[in-house]
Amino acid sequence: MKLLIVEDEPKTGEYIRRGLTEAGFVVDRADDGRDGLDLAMTGGYDLVILDVMLPGLSGWEILKALRAAGHELPVLFLTARDQIEDRVRGLELGADDYLVKPFAFAELLARVRTLLRRGKQAPAAEMLAIADLELDPVRRRVTRAGQRIELTPKEFALLELFVRRAGEVLPRALIASQVWDMNFDSDTNVIDVAVRRLRGKIDDGFEPKLIKTVRGMGYRLDDASAE
Amino acid sequence: MKPLSLTARVSLLFAVVVAAVLLITGVLIARAVEHHFADEDHQEMLGKLELVRHLLARAHDQADLDALSQELNDALIGHPGLSVAVIDNHGQIWFATTAAAFPSHLLETHEPPGTLEQWAANGTEYRGIAMPVPVDGAPYTVALSVDIRHHDMFMAEFRRILALAMALAALSTAALGWMAARQALSPLKAMARTATSISADKLSERLPVAGAPDEIRALAEAFNAMLARLEDAFRRLSDFSSDIAHELRTPVSNLMTQTQVALARTRSAEEYREVLESDMEEYERLARMIGDMLFLAQADNHMVVPHRETVDLADEVRRLFEFYEALAADRDVRLVLDGEAQVSGDRLMLQRAISNLLSNALRYTPSGGSIGVRLASDGETCRIAVSNPGPTIPARHLDRLFDRFYRVDPARREGGGHTGLGLAITRSLVEAHGGTIQAVSGDGMTRFDIMLPCRRPAARQEG
Repeated sequence: MKLLIVEDEPKTGEYIRRGLTEAGFVVDRADDGRDGLDLAMTGGYDLVILDVMLPGLSGWEILKALRAAGHELPVLFLTARDQIEDRVRGLELGADDYLVKPFAFAELLARVRTLLRRGKQAPAAEMLAIADLELDPVRRRVTRAGQRIELTPKEFALLELFVRRAGEVLPRALIASQVWDMNFDSDTNVIDVAVRRLRGKIDDGFEPKLIKTVRGMGYRLDDASAE
Repeated sequence: MKPLSLTARVSLLFAVVVAAVLLITGVLIARAVEHHFADEDHQEMLGKLELVRHLLARAHDQADLDALSQELNDALIGHPGLSVAVIDNHGQIWFATTAAAFPSHLLETHEPPGTLEQWAANGTEYRGIAMPVPVDGAPYTVALSVDIRHHDMFMAEFRRILALAMALAALSTAALGWMAARQALSPLKAMARTATSISADKLSERLPVAGAPDEIRALAEAFNAMLARLEDAFRRLSDFSSDIAHELRTPVSNLMTQTQVALARTRSAEEYREVLESDMEEYERLARMIGDMLFLAQADNHMVVPHRETVDLADEVRRLFEFYEALAADRDVRLVLDGEAQVSGDRLMLQRAISNLLSNALRYTPSGGSIGVRLASDGETCRIAVSNPGPTIPARHLDRLFDRFYRVDPARREGGGHTGLGLAITRSLVEAHGGTIQAVSGDGMTRFDIMLPCRRPAARQEG
């Protein structure tokens, strides 16, 4: 997967590049608007991360030019201001997602993965399984070690998100957005409590423990015994 | 051109009005006096005419007439300005006192007889009358005139004195007006002096109200009320900045302490990881606080509702209940929705506003209690009431609950996701929709009431 990041602040740009590279992506970086547009037009990228405030061309102008030239690649933009007008404008211009600075890197990574996965998701009908946990998205049934586990609809949605994105760190804000469609800085306690209750149902009394807390980042579901 | 001062305008206006009134009065008086003089002259001459006619009536022949001349001279002695002429039916002057000079029009056209005429001859003004008198059957004419030079002199002097008096009166009125206006406006000067001395650190000063006239008192009171509002806003703002500093100090000092301790000696990779993880928690707290403060700063610069649609509030509350479901269940708190309402607004903003109230309610509801959301609409106003059992909040805190970082109990600083800005953000969001929010508390229940206009406001005042 090849990504382009257009960001003029050197430290921010470099850390994002490094983080994404370590997460397994091929990453190019441009530090002004014109170079960014040239690269985005010709580089054959899978996704572009655009800062709004850029020297040369603004993020909006790059986005407009890209869409006008018929490039449909996903665009995630970064804005320094929590302006609702910015959000609306970006989405109207055809951006796919946005993040307000300051943001957590885990959040950026999770959103990049969400965008890249879009349209390529495993068919909903498929049974999902990890370790001895099985999840049937159609009949909305969960079993662990053959035992049926009763979940509320939202607990089921949360578990399905974890299983589908097994191995990825999911930040709290992403969970709130994907499971509950809460797209603002909501009460993070809620996520902690919801995850704790889910754990109580699927991990308590079972081994290995599947849901792990990644301190300072979020939660991750994986099968440690499989590694 | 610099506009005239109020004092100058008032005194000038006084002077002009007084001068005009005096001028009219003066002209009227001068005319009355002149008319009186003319009348007096007329009467005097009519008297003399009667005398002359009487004497002439006694003459029956030429000898009588000859004797009469002397008699006439005697009768007219002591009247220096008076001239008399008697003209016979052939136009010949039969008798005339010295210096008598009559214009011909007086003698020829005395219609009606005895009309007072005025003329000038040899630089002297005269008044005169003429009348036909039959002498021995023949139509003689008697003419009389008076020299009115002394009248003219008197009138000129009179006018001069009148003009002088008028000028003096106008001037003194102007001066008095100036003094009165200055006196009346002196509270304004005092107010201006006080206002000049008021600066950000002296907002508690007030303009003097006692002793000011009613008109100025209203102004001073309005000004004082404005100062009170400014003082309050300024105090809140300065509280806010000190609160920001205070709120930022804790995470930053945590960061510094733990990082410095970690750096004090070489540690294992695991220990470094732990420090970074702990740092991350503080950074998240800082980032959240900064995000919230930016949001509020924007709200201060008249936030607009960018994307209006019809929002079904019951739907939104149900979605929020799903979100808070786990937390509520964990604390054994029930969430109850009652009623329904639809408003025009931004879904995300309204959701955030109600979410903050629910989050707040969950924090204070004791285990086993229930949080109620009641929706109501009368077609004009939609009401969202979020109530929860919990300790009664003293009335003096209720208004300030929506202030940034305001806490009823200052000692209580909470961790977790709470920045102390939630209620302030809710108020901004509600106000952006043209609504109001207030809190009521009593008998172990606390309730937040949001009132929103149901439909899009026709014309929203911006800025």
